Amino acid sequence: MQILRETNLEGLKLAREIGREKVLEILSKKGLVGRGGAGFPVAKKWGLSLNTKAKERYVICNADEGEPGTFKDKFILKNNPETMIEGILIAAYVLNAKRCFIYLRGEYDYLRGELEEKIKEVLEKSKMKASIEIVRGAGAYICGEETAIIQSIMGYRGQAMYKPPFPVIKGLWGKPTVLNNVETLTNVPQALLYDDWNSDYRLFSISGDVEHPGVYEWKLGVKMSTILNTVKPKGKLKAMSFGCFGGIMPVDKNSEITTESVCKENCNHGAFSIIFIGNRNIVDICISIAKFYTYESCGKCTPCREGTIRLLNLLKKVKKCEATKQDLDTLKEFAEHIQETSLCGLGQSCGNHILTSLEHFKKDYEAGLK
Amino acid sequence: MKIKLNGKKLEVKEGTILEICKKQKIKIPTLCYHKSLFPEARCRICLVEMNGKLVTSCSTKPIENCEIITNSERVLKARKRNLELMNPGIDMDKLGDDFEAREIYEEVGLDNERFESIKDYHPDLGASLIRDNNKCINCGRCVQVCAKIQSVFAIDFASRAHNEHVTPYNEKKLADIACIKCGQCLINCPVGAIKERSHLEEVKKALNNPKKHVVAQTAPSIRAALGEMFDMKPGTLVTGKMVTALRKSGFDKVFDVDLGADITIMEESAELLKRIKNKGVLPMITTCCPSWILMMEHFYPELIPNMSTCKSPHEMLGMLIKTYYAEKAKINKKDIVVVSIMPCVAKKFESTRPELNTAVDYVLTTRELGRLIKQNKIDFCKLKDEDFDPTLGLATGAGDIFGTAGGVMEAALRTCYEIENGKKLKKVEFENLRKFKGIKEGEIILKGKKIKYACASGGANIRKLLENKEKYQFIEIMACPGGCIGGGGQPIYFDDQTLKLRSKALYKQDSKREFRRSHENPIVKKIYKKYLGKPRSKKAEKLLHTSYVERGRF
Repeated sequence: MQILRETNLEGLKLAREIGREKVLEILSKKGLVGRGGAGFPVAKKWGLSLNTKAKERYVICNADEGEPGTFKDKFILKNNPETMIEGILIAAYVLNAKRCFIYLRGEYDYLRGELEEKIKEVLEKSKMKASIEIVRGAGAYICGEETAIIQSIMGYRGQAMYKPPFPVIKGLWGKPTVLNNVETLTNVPQALLYDDWNSDYRLFSISGDVEHPGVYEWKLGVKMSTILNTVKPKGKLKAMSFGCFGGIMPVDKNSEITTESVCKENCNHGAFSIIFIGNRNIVDICISIAKFYTYESCGKCTPCREGTIRLLNLLKKVKKCEATKQDLDTLKEFAEHIQETSLCGLGQSCGNHILTSLEHFKKDYEAGLK
Repeated sequence: MKIKLNGKKLEVKEGTILEICKKQKIKIPTLCYHKSLFPEARCRICLVEMNGKLVTSCSTKPIENCEIITNSERVLKARKRNLELMNPGIDMDKLGDDFEAREIYEEVGLDNERFESIKDYHPDLGASLIRDNNKCINCGRCVQVCAKIQSVFAIDFASRAHNEHVTPYNEKKLADIACIKCGQCLINCPVGAIKERSHLEEVKKALNNPKKHVVAQTAPSIRAALGEMFDMKPGTLVTGKMVTALRKSGFDKVFDVDLGADITIMEESAELLKRIKNKGVLPMITTCCPSWILMMEHFYPELIPNMSTCKSPHEMLGMLIKTYYAEKAKINKKDIVVVSIMPCVAKKFESTRPELNTAVDYVLTTRELGRLIKQNKIDFCKLKDEDFDPTLGLATGAGDIFGTAGGVMEAALRTCYEIENGKKLKKVEFENLRKFKGIKEGEIILKGKKIKYACASGGANIRKLLENKEKYQFIEIMACPGGCIGGGGQPIYFDDQTLKLRSKALYKQDSKREFRRSHENPIVKKIYKKYLGKPRSKKAEKLLHTSYVERGRF
């Protein structure tokens, strides 16, 4: 796997030799983009931060991988943490940041001890004048959102803030702050160092009704049939979902997984975590996902705070075969409404599973009518 | 920057969409927005369309060449949906006068009510404030006001999703935490989820009891704000109408707390002059504001020696009503019921303090008085003016300005200067104390000594001033921004302009008075001559002074 190639601080050494301008140039030429889901070019993000005048800058490594069905960052944290730490140090060098943070998901606390040792080791070897602090999340999904991470590190309630200003301009303690996730930062030294580094490789987290769940590496454009042949479905597959927020859709064996092919209306590949769904009632799946959102909404803005629970209640009504046709209309109306008017990414995607499954699996819903 | 607003091409410089719309006289409904607070964009009622995307106008700045639509079908529908989600099952008819958002609810309108309320909270019933989370819409204004303007940090959000609610830490009650009961949260709550503890029913009972001699005493700032309850312009002086309305409501006597303020000045200036002469603890800090006293006891207990020992004006006058007046009018003091009309909810708590040995039975806020007048179907605007009852009804201009920040200081300086220097002030107005500012300062010469003084209003300003308190010899502190005119018991107001007008009205009242210095007040002179002796005499100390206790921060 490309992601597991070790760089042994050679990437950092190279970066210091060629200077920050050149690093940005290489990263931009090689086409390294963020792996969190939005796909924002790394060089552009760092450049934006550099162009903002400030006495201090910060780097945050987002290791708060909270999306259900996603576990590829854990895979890197376990198997190649040195390269990730090197990536953080390169970012710190380019941005001239003295303090860096790793925002570690609360549930990954057991990785912390080992990670701290590795940080110490790498820092000693690198002779960089920078510190890397691990901040442990408390388990909130919303704290994977960049503004919420910043709030959380500063000690406030983990709630999303209104953007702009974007964190690269005004983030932690009002200073420019670059946030990248584990996979992105691990790719930084690899992209700098290896000529054969390919920007198309992505880590896939596969789970659900399959024989071999786990982390895989494929290039963008991989055929669904290739994926299915590798992970071996248990029986016939009815649907699949990209994480929780990606929307539920039927499995198309001939499809290719690319950014464009997946990101259609109400669908998003996110961090390429695919949950395969066998012969199950889609309404049940939607209830599980709705429960997740009802629990994880931060409560800040009205539509998401009050809306998620109403969606769940309506789904439960469908499940109990007590729903009317009007209820289904309400469900659709409010799923759309919450997406349209919420403050952050959580609210803006918390109706995806309902909207897509209403489109593709209407039968399951209609079975729940009175 | 060029933008297109509702089809009209505009050239704008800066500001959020909401501010631009306001300038263009386009009305956008808002709930969580407040001019002096950070726009958190929580309620999402102020949605508008920018380039085909719904955005909150309170927090969004327009981008170059964008097209903004504020009244499309989509926008109106989205607002309605958010209102529908916000607080289902709300009964508009049962909502009181504190429901500032009524207008917004009516403007946005509900076309559909498909959900039931899922909130099930126990209301927090305090001595001053009642907080009912079942009515709350999580707009967060109370939280921000408490933290940023008052710097008290008594409440914050807890829990997530639909369980998110405002609460003191660890789900405690307001009574058990460091809350100063200023009521700024109440003033800023758009839906009346925070209310005062009403004494109205008890007062009505007393009024209906023929055996009781019910006496009302009104604070200085009531006369400048009560009119707003009856749709008069802010800053309309309604002194005479207020007295008439109180008499019509059944009060046997109506007295003026401005007189209590005059007596406070006599006591306080005597105390200050003594401290300066004997090198006592300085700076001396005023104690008219019960919220400030609470703040001091919670956060600055080391300042107890600095505090003046004077009771607040209405407690002083209340005591005199039950002693001096009772003796004079030959009424058993047990039959007298003293009702203070105050701009303040903390006064309700103050009247329960044991160390105060209070003479005040009930405290009504300006809003409660307005409600009483409305309930009695009195046409307030058409009332004739009447005067206060003469026994304790004549006050000076110095007492009038107690209601606005800097007023107590000004009144005290008038008296201190003239008593100490033995000559009259050429100009009684202290313009440096009349500016609309959070912190004001100045200096005055008393018997050749330079005395530095300062005033602060609003919790955050208080903390700032106290950081270099050693610079001063005399400090006036009011917990609410602008002083009592901006108190938690006043009619709900929206902007600083209202406060400026109210304060102007009090200064106007001051300028019209025959006597403008507390020590010139003939009733004050009479009371001291016949009853108390002189300021800080043994009798005065017993009746008019108090002590303080240390309270923890948690």
